[in-house]
Amino acid sequence: MRQRGSWPAGVGVGFVRACAVAVVSMLIPALWAAAVALGIRWGAGNPWSWTAPVLLVGVGTFALSRPVCRMTRFLVTRWTTAVIPSGYRQAGPVTRMSTGYWWNGFGYERTRRDALMDQMWRVRWNDPANWRDLRFTGILPLTAGVVACLPPAWVAAAVVGLGRPDTSARVLGALGLVLAVAVAPLAWRAVEPVAVRFLRPSPAMALADRVEELTAQRADTTVAQAAEIRRIERDLHDGAQARLVALGLSLATAQKLMESDPDRARALMRDAQAGAASSLAELRELTRGISPPVLSERGLADAVRALALDIPLDVDVSADAGLRLDPPVESAVYFGVAELLTNAVKHARASRVRVRLARDAADAGLVAEVEDDGRGGAEARDGGGLAGLRRRLAVFDGTVEISSPPGGPTRVRMSVPCESS
Amino acid sequence: MRIVVAEDLYLLRDGMVRLIEACGHQVVATAATGPETLDALRTWRPDVSVIDVRMPPDQSDEGLRATLAARAEIPGLPVLILSQHVEQLYARELLADGSGGVGYLLKESVFDADQFIGALERVAAGGTAMDPAVIAKLLAGSAPARRLDRLTEREYAVLGLMAEGLSNRAVGRRLFLSESAVSKYTTSMFGKLGITDDEDGNRRVLAVLAYLNP
Repeated sequence: MRQRGSWPAGVGVGFVRACAVAVVSMLIPALWAAAVALGIRWGAGNPWSWTAPVLLVGVGTFALSRPVCRMTRFLVTRWTTAVIPSGYRQAGPVTRMSTGYWWNGFGYERTRRDALMDQMWRVRWNDPANWRDLRFTGILPLTAGVVACLPPAWVAAAVVGLGRPDTSARVLGALGLVLAVAVAPLAWRAVEPVAVRFLRPSPAMALADRVEELTAQRADTTVAQAAEIRRIERDLHDGAQARLVALGLSLATAQKLMESDPDRARALMRDAQAGAASSLAELRELTRGISPPVLSERGLADAVRALALDIPLDVDVSADAGLRLDPPVESAVYFGVAELLTNAVKHARASRVRVRLARDAADAGLVAEVEDDGRGGAEARDGGGLAGLRRRLAVFDGTVEISSPPGGPTRVRMSVPCESS
Repeated sequence: MRIVVAEDLYLLRDGMVRLIEACGHQVVATAATGPETLDALRTWRPDVSVIDVRMPPDQSDEGLRATLAARAEIPGLPVLILSQHVEQLYARELLADGSGGVGYLLKESVFDADQFIGALERVAAGGTAMDPAVIAKLLAGSAPARRLDRLTEREYAVLGLMAEGLSNRAVGRRLFLSESAVSKYTTSMFGKLGITDDEDGNRRVLAVLAYLNP
C-alpha cells in the first residue's frame, strides 16, 4: 500500500512516466500520420504522389523500430525490476589476414573501414531481432501506448474545457482533470507486461544464439582434445616407449654376455628390472591423468572419496546413494573437484574442506559443492584453473558459481543439467 | 602352498604361475573374471591367492569385490591383491575386517621374486603385506597425524616398515639396526601411541594398521 504522504509524488512521477511512454510508443504512428498528411498535401492531381510517403513509412519504420525498442527496454529496466535480454546479434572481431585483406566473418575487404561497414550492414540486415522489433512497434502503440496517452489527453481536455466560458465544457474539463489525476500513477504500468511479453528474444533468435554458442564450444573442445592427445602421445613416446627400447637393449646385451661375463650380465638384468619398474611408474602417472582408476572402476562418488584420502587436509565427502552419470560427465566433474581441492591446498591455505555430491532436486541433474575454510579471494582469471573448469563443464551445459569473499570461506557450486547426464 | 591366481591378462597370469611354480609352490586354479575368482576361492580355499583388482565382465573392481565377498564368508582367507595402482580407499576396505591375512601390492612387486614369494608366505601365515606407498599415505593421513608428531624420525621409519608387515628382523635389515634396537624403538613408539605391545608380530601389525585406519 502506498502511503498517503507520497500520493502526490506518485501522481507526478506517474504522469511524467506516462508522457514518456506515450512519446516513445507514438513515435512511429506519428511518422505514419506525417507521411499521410504529406501525401494528402502533395497528392492533389499527381498520380505518383503516394510513392514519397510509402518510401518514408517503409524506411522510417525500419530505421526507428530498433531505437524505439531500445528506449522501451531502457524505460522498463529503469522503472521496474523486470530484466529483458535484448538478444541483438553481436558483431564478431575484424582481423587482418596475412594477405593484407581484412576478414569480418562474412568476406574479405580491402580496408578495415570497408570491412567494418560491410559487417555492420550484414549483421544489422540478417538479425532475426528485426522482425521482433517491427512486430513490437506495431503492438506497442495499440496497447501500452493507448493507455499511457490517457493522462496527458485528459489533461489537455481539461485545459481546453476549463478555458471555455460555457458550464458544460467546464464540468467536462474538471472531470478530465480528476480522471487524469486518478489514472496517472497506474497508466504507465501497462508498458511492463507488454515489453516483457513481446521484447524477449524470439525462439528463432534463441536458437541462433545457441548454435553460435555451441559452435564456439565445439571449437574449444576440439582444440583442447587435440592438445591432450598430443601430450599423451609425447609422454608415451619420450617416456615409456624409449625406456622399453633401452630395456630390450639391456636384455639383448645380457643374453650375449651370459656365457662370457655372467657378473656383468646379472648387473644388466638388474638395470633392466629397474628400467621396467620406472617405466611402469611413468605409465601409472599417465593413466591416472587420463582417467583415475577408481573413477573407471567405481564411479564418481568413490573416486572423490579416494581423492579426499590423498589430500593432506581434513576432507569431508558426502554423496547421494546410487549417483551414476555418463562417464564423460563424471570425468569432468571429477577433475573439477580435483582442481578445487588442489586450490584449497595450494592457494587458500585451508584446513577443512566439505565436498557434497547430490542429485539436483529441480531437474535430476548433478550438483557438486566444494567449500573450504581458507582465506578466500578466488576468482576465475583467463587461462586459470577456474576458467578451465568453466569451459570443461560448459560442454555439458554445466555452470560454475564461485563465492569467495576475502577472508573466506570459498564456496564453489558446479551443476550439470540432466539432459547431458 | 596351494595357490589360486586370478588375473585376466593371459601373459601376466601365465608368467605368475610359472614364477610361483619355479619357487616350489602349487597353483591349484586360475581365474580370469570376478565370478570365476569367487568360485575358485570358495571351492579350493587356497592357502593364499593372488588377485587382480580390475577384471571382466565389466572391467570395474571385480577382483576386489570377489575378495571381499569371499573373506566375508570365510574370515581370514589369505589374499594378496596385485594391482597396477594402489589406492588408499581399497586398502582401507581390505583392512576393515581386521582379521589379517591380506596383502595389497603393485604388480611390479613380482620383479623381485624373493620378496614377492616372501610376501605371499607372510600373507598365507595370516600376516600382512602392504605397499609402501599406501602406508606412506596412511601415515600422512590427517586423523592420527597429531599424535604421530611426537615420534622421532627413526620411530616413524620403523612404524612405516612395520605397517607394511615386516618382522622386527626384516625392519632391522632395512634400517641397518640390530633386532634388539628395533624392539626398543617399537616399545617406546607403542607407548607414545597408546597401542598395546604384543609379542605376536602379526597382531602388532594389525594394531598399527587399525590405528592408522580410522
